[in-house]
Amino acid sequence: MLRYVNLGLAVFGLAVLCTGCNRDDGEPVTATDVAAGSAAAYTIPVEYHKLDNGLKVVISEDHTAPIAVVGVYYNIGFRIEPQDRTGFAHLFEHMMFQGSEKLGKMEFIQLVQRNGGTLNGSTRFDFTNYFEVVPANTLETMLWAEADRMRGLAITQENLVNQQGVVGNEVKVNVLNRPYGGWPWLWMPQHANENWYNSHNFYGELAHIEAATLDDVKKFFTTYYAPNNAALAIVGDVNPQEAMRWVEQYFGDIPAAAMPPRPDLTEPRQEQEKTAVHEDPRANRPALAFAYHMPERGSPEYYAMGLIDQILLQGDDAWLQQKLARDKGYTADVGGGINDLGNMFNYNGPMLWTASLIHDPTVVREDIMKSVDEVIDRLRNEPVDQATLDRAVVKMRSGLYDIVSDFYGFGRADLLAALALFDDDPARINSLEAQFRVVTPELLQATAREYLRPTARTVLTLEPTGERSEP
Amino acid sequence: MNANNRSFVLACLTLTSTAFGQAQPAEPPAPGAPREFRLPQPTKIELGNGMRATLVEYGSLPKVTVQLVVRSGELNAGEQTWLAQLTGELMQEGTQQHGASEVADLAAALGGQVSVTVNLDTTTISGDVLAENAPQLIALIGEIARTPALPESEAERVRGDLLRALTVAKSQAQAQAREAFARHVYGASHPYGRPYPSEEQLASYSAEDARVFHDANFGAQRSHLYVAGKFDAAAVKGAIDSVFGDWQSGPAILVDVPQTVATRAVVLLDRPGAPQSTVILGLVVVDPSNRDYVPLQVMNSLLGGSFGSRITANIRENKGYTYSPRSELNNNYKVATWAELADVTSEHTADSLAEIVAEISRLKAEPPPAEELQGIKNYMSGVFVLGNSDRGSIISVLRYADLHGLADDYLNTYLQRVAAVTPEEVSRLAAEYLPTDTLTLVVVGDLKTVKPQLAGLDWISESDLN
Repeated sequence: MLRYVNLGLAVFGLAVLCTGCNRDDGEPVTATDVAAGSAAAYTIPVEYHKLDNGLKVVISEDHTAPIAVVGVYYNIGFRIEPQDRTGFAHLFEHMMFQGSEKLGKMEFIQLVQRNGGTLNGSTRFDFTNYFEVVPANTLETMLWAEADRMRGLAITQENLVNQQGVVGNEVKVNVLNRPYGGWPWLWMPQHANENWYNSHNFYGELAHIEAATLDDVKKFFTTYYAPNNAALAIVGDVNPQEAMRWVEQYFGDIPAAAMPPRPDLTEPRQEQEKTAVHEDPRANRPALAFAYHMPERGSPEYYAMGLIDQILLQGDDAWLQQKLARDKGYTADVGGGINDLGNMFNYNGPMLWTASLIHDPTVVREDIMKSVDEVIDRLRNEPVDQATLDRAVVKMRSGLYDIVSDFYGFGRADLLAALALFDDDPARINSLEAQFRVVTPELLQATAREYLRPTARTVLTLEPTGERSEP
Repeated sequence: MNANNRSFVLACLTLTSTAFGQAQPAEPPAPGAPREFRLPQPTKIELGNGMRATLVEYGSLPKVTVQLVVRSGELNAGEQTWLAQLTGELMQEGTQQHGASEVADLAAALGGQVSVTVNLDTTTISGDVLAENAPQLIALIGEIARTPALPESEAERVRGDLLRALTVAKSQAQAQAREAFARHVYGASHPYGRPYPSEEQLASYSAEDARVFHDANFGAQRSHLYVAGKFDAAAVKGAIDSVFGDWQSGPAILVDVPQTVATRAVVLLDRPGAPQSTVILGLVVVDPSNRDYVPLQVMNSLLGGSFGSRITANIRENKGYTYSPRSELNNNYKVATWAELADVTSEHTADSLAEIVAEISRLKAEPPPAEELQGIKNYMSGVFVLGNSDRGSIISVLRYADLHGLADDYLNTYLQRVAAVTPEEVSRLAAEYLPTDTLTLVVVGDLKTVKPQLAGLDWISESDLN
């Protein structure tokens, strides 16, 4: 049915994108199944420019429908927010809708809507994004508006207080009043990681959110919201030359800023299994989650881990689904993947591969973990057969197509912006699939042996503690 | 935006443009000329046994979505709430030809998986795979629809999964509120008014019950296959013929429209210590086949159904009482409701309700400014374009029109009907369809905090609170 696209700002825990990317590079395919062999090549057009002030600009034409996506990505996520202001990166995201030089409160939203578009923003580990999906003929209008709020904000104390209320309510509706709220996406990183930047409560302590001042807002904006710390992605029914002319016109004279040094984000190699318990007074069934640390982004092992995710977790045929859901009946479905708040491409630092399930209180947790060990040991003890690997590659390719087509092209803008921001190379979008294709059974096994060690694991359990929690 | 043989252009605002070439004009630059948008062209097929299919070739991305929609949902399960759900789950436990793991492997090799989802009116068997695999996916979906194994050996596990899902769902304040609202407006004697079974009831269903349900409710006459994306049309048509051509016609579509309740109720459910109250304020309105329904959608977008809407601007962006308020029109076959839903700070429960009612009253009292309405109409036009610019969304739109039996020109004339809505009509619709004294209120929250507040609302009586 027809629906409007109802979007609260920054729906933190929702809208998790999947995994994957695209294009058949034409190499001979060894897959035994017909699916892998006969796909037509699918290449995404990528134009990449950098303005004198450092703004990275990626344009990708797609004339399927008369729509366009504008995404502005700032290289500042909740990971490196101020230590005495947890949740501030996200609160700040809300401030970006509260008024800029030429657009007062609500005017940005109204401008997008009355031009037939929809918009949102979100805060993630390593970026904060703002995007519009609009009729293509309004591209210039959107670029003007995004440039206006990159240029400067006009925030009042009243608007800050208002959004502190809104964000407080966001945390309540998504976490505090919601059974399994924050499970496990908000809680797991706090237990599995050691470095504060990776392990703090990034939705924010309510006291920290309430303590934020206008000075904090100004300082954060001045420090991080500069063109040389941002990427602009434009996708859809656009003319790249014309789009670049507008980008130059509206963004070209926004001054660059000196960036503070990046803090050390590294995590130590985990040598001991960790366990933790999360109490949830609103839940009524126990739950269990486990997480392992990802190999460094972009390494051969990282791509192998992407396929391991496909083999173990994604889809009905995945080994953990088969074992824990179908064979043992512990749960209906095992959730999770790489980066609970995005996909395996749009982050830039230490990351977890996480799996989680809700089960009955009659199930013994040690039995669940024994089954998990059996599945994972199989991967660690012997190379997978070619058919399994081929199926994983097919699922990955299909998943990549899903990413780049997600939400009317927003997914493509998201991936291009991430590859521009973190790798300075958005054209990589067309070579990702090839990186998965070169993974061998031996590399996959070696990756499992190092990264899926029991000693590198964190097991988090959820205990229902409310009155109605008994079965 | 679009139509089969004609093309429309997006309605657009005229914004004043300032000098092009200036670094940063003070006003937003005007949009360019509206682009042509053509509705995707569906090909419709009907087989001899009454089965229908709609094919839409769309886009360049090498993927295809296939959905088999069967008019067999909880409506058909009658008093056996969630028997349709159990049947749907068991249909994912293998077919007479392939075990469950084999089905999963086959689907994965096509680049996806097949899932079965059940709602009040339908069961949908769907998959989303690489483009070249559409015929194989159709075959797999047909096998699951026609010859599921429904194995007794898996019934206990699947029931356990559903019992867990039921318990978890009912721990959510939003689910509790929706259940109470549905129960009041549709009545507990109709499946629409009974979204959840009791645990005892669910535990009593067997694989044999599922088999009886499947036999009685699945067949060609009740089924419509949708295919959208990239595919080889000839191969897909051939697959449809060979997979479904000899399916028995089966039962006709069941029509069972509930007697809706026009009187109000106040339902208060205690959630001790809750930091927010989950509120629903709403009532029964006309269904999608009524000529007022599209204008009602316009009214809804302006009132509470969009980010820039009045209620959202008020209780979120002005007052900060809530994060994700929204109003919505929610429909099933031949019935619909309008409701505002919000999770609001407990201390401001009555304040929020007062503002919501005030916005409804304001809209009744005075037609909205023409510019505000035009903005909403533009927004809805844009959303309509989006809704027809993605293979999954295209199927959703077609399913909606088919479920409600909307005329063939529904999509072709949608934008014209949106454009024709006047400020006076919006005001009239609010007055006609949202009478304040028949709005049903559901609150799930900390009642010791909430009740004293509600006592202060002039449309809440003492008897409402007892």
